[in-house]
Amino acid sequence: MLKLLPQNRLDELFRIISQDRLVFTHQVIEDQFYLTFVREWDPSNHTLPAYRPVQPLKSLVFPPREALGMLFQKSEVPSVQERIILGVNNCDLHSLRIHDYVMQQTEPADPMYSVLRERTLIVSIDCTACRATCFCTVVGEQPYPKSGFDINLSPIKEGYIIESGSARGEALLEQCAQILAPVSDTQIQARDKKRHDLSAQISKQSAEKGLKPELDFQAAIQKTAESDLWKSFAHDCVECGACNFACCTCHCFLLVDGQGDANQPSRVKQWDSCLYQNFARVAGGANPRAHRAERLYNRFDKKFNFFPQVLGGYACDGCGRCIEACTGKIDIRDVLKKATDEL
Amino acid sequence: MNYKLYLPTAAILEKVEAETHNIKTFFLKPAEPIPFLAGQFVELTIPGLGEAPFTPSSSPAVQDRMEITIMRVGTVTERLHALQPGAQIGIRGPLGQPYPLENFKDKEVLIVGGGVGLAPLRALLFALFADLDNYKKVIVRYGTRTPQDIIYKKVVEKAWGKAKSLDVMVTVDKGDEQWKGNQGVVTTILEKKYLKVAPSKGVAVVCGPPIMMKFATFKLLKIGYAPENIYLSMEKNMSCGIGKCGHCRLGQYYACKDGPVFSYDRIKDLPQIWD
Repeated sequence: MLKLLPQNRLDELFRIISQDRLVFTHQVIEDQFYLTFVREWDPSNHTLPAYRPVQPLKSLVFPPREALGMLFQKSEVPSVQERIILGVNNCDLHSLRIHDYVMQQTEPADPMYSVLRERTLIVSIDCTACRATCFCTVVGEQPYPKSGFDINLSPIKEGYIIESGSARGEALLEQCAQILAPVSDTQIQARDKKRHDLSAQISKQSAEKGLKPELDFQAAIQKTAESDLWKSFAHDCVECGACNFACCTCHCFLLVDGQGDANQPSRVKQWDSCLYQNFARVAGGANPRAHRAERLYNRFDKKFNFFPQVLGGYACDGCGRCIEACTGKIDIRDVLKKATDEL
Repeated sequence: MNYKLYLPTAAILEKVEAETHNIKTFFLKPAEPIPFLAGQFVELTIPGLGEAPFTPSSSPAVQDRMEITIMRVGTVTERLHALQPGAQIGIRGPLGQPYPLENFKDKEVLIVGGGVGLAPLRALLFALFADLDNYKKVIVRYGTRTPQDIIYKKVVEKAWGKAKSLDVMVTVDKGDEQWKGNQGVVTTILEKKYLKVAPSKGVAVVCGPPIMMKFATFKLLKIGYAPENIYLSMEKNMSCGIGKCGHCRLGQYYACKDGPVFSYDRIKDLPQIWD
């Protein structure tokens, strides 16, 4: 379903579709958007993100730290109230295919992920601007969603072109039928021009970093397994793991045991980083990736070689968060450029 | 929905038997049966400390008990070795893929173990013994550093050594005064004069320290085994055991989900397989 939501009806739409749901949306501080849990949509405090927020969307379906329960006791996955996220950008939305593959399609399915995914409604939005670090168009993506959303909003002069992308989204739009208007071809053309122009801008800024959409990053990563370029970039890596935690697709975790309530043994699942020295180490001390350069290569191999083999696409959506998070100022675009230079 | 896939089943440690100065066999009784197939592994939990992966050493036909032979090498195994009978630990599994026994049918099966690497192979041997008529021949070639490092001593030297359908040979890197067998690394007893087999038609299963697996594999290739008929146990950091946590990746595979046993042809071109 494709409709027009007049500008002055946005708050009403959000009020209707947020009813009885937990609401996540965005606050803006300086030039950054922050994904935030709120009581309800409040237009004086909240905003839809012009580009992706600081936090990756994965944190809402794959929590940074998740209690799995006490050992030797029945541990049920807690019930979760239905939630709605207002304003998800395409890089984050598309990243869910990686988490769906790892957590659900690779059996057995992760129970908490399945519950959170099922109980989360997604209202996505076309990006209306980009950060200097955005490069989605060179990894096969674009700054607007094509699928995976329940509802998508495309800002245009008159308001928003609103589109349903799932049965749940369709049902929600039917609930709001009285505030929606028909959409004209001119308005669709206006949306498409905005999409085209922003894509062109991202491609232009990526080209200035030497990256073009036709580059084969998988071939480049395969070719550079033994290259010195990894040592050179690893020189600046301080193994903080910020790139992994900021990344919208990184999915690695660790099962950690400890003492829970009443000193009972318990287990948690928490995000882990493949840059950490002991990530692949085995008992007795053998470590297949003992050197930082090997671990840095592994990160790129996983994103640009492993996932194309198992899932048919890169595990990078060009959100650029790792560039901004990196303490050592390693720019993923520079790494990819240097790797493709060796092709 | 529950968290069973990440949490262990309780198990009581019924008995501990010392095999060598740093290897013990743990006899476990899980609260509920844990049916497994030879080649699959489990995660053992020391409550409050953590988990580590091990392959059972007992017969897959026995479901209500499990024996695991473990060397003391790290944090979890250090604590395991200090446990007394009656202690409660956790077992999670079975995990991973079993040996493809259907590929072994009517073939000569060569089992090559190094040190404590014989422990997981023992579960495979039990599975082979259960259907011995299915296999043309079962050959065991086992190497350790010294005679004191041989595990399952009584069984290896007596029961297996006397079984007519079995061809067992043991070597030690360095013997002592009582040692009358072969001296040298395990590849020395993979020489053709000690192996009455047709390598090109047979299958070989190798488990041991990475350096031993590397040289045993090269030797097996040299004497004519096909890469697809050499099965290797890949020791990687397997944490979740279900292909999600990312630690044990090996090229396009996860050792926990797609292995831990791989035929050599699947992994031979991957980096760092012997590290």
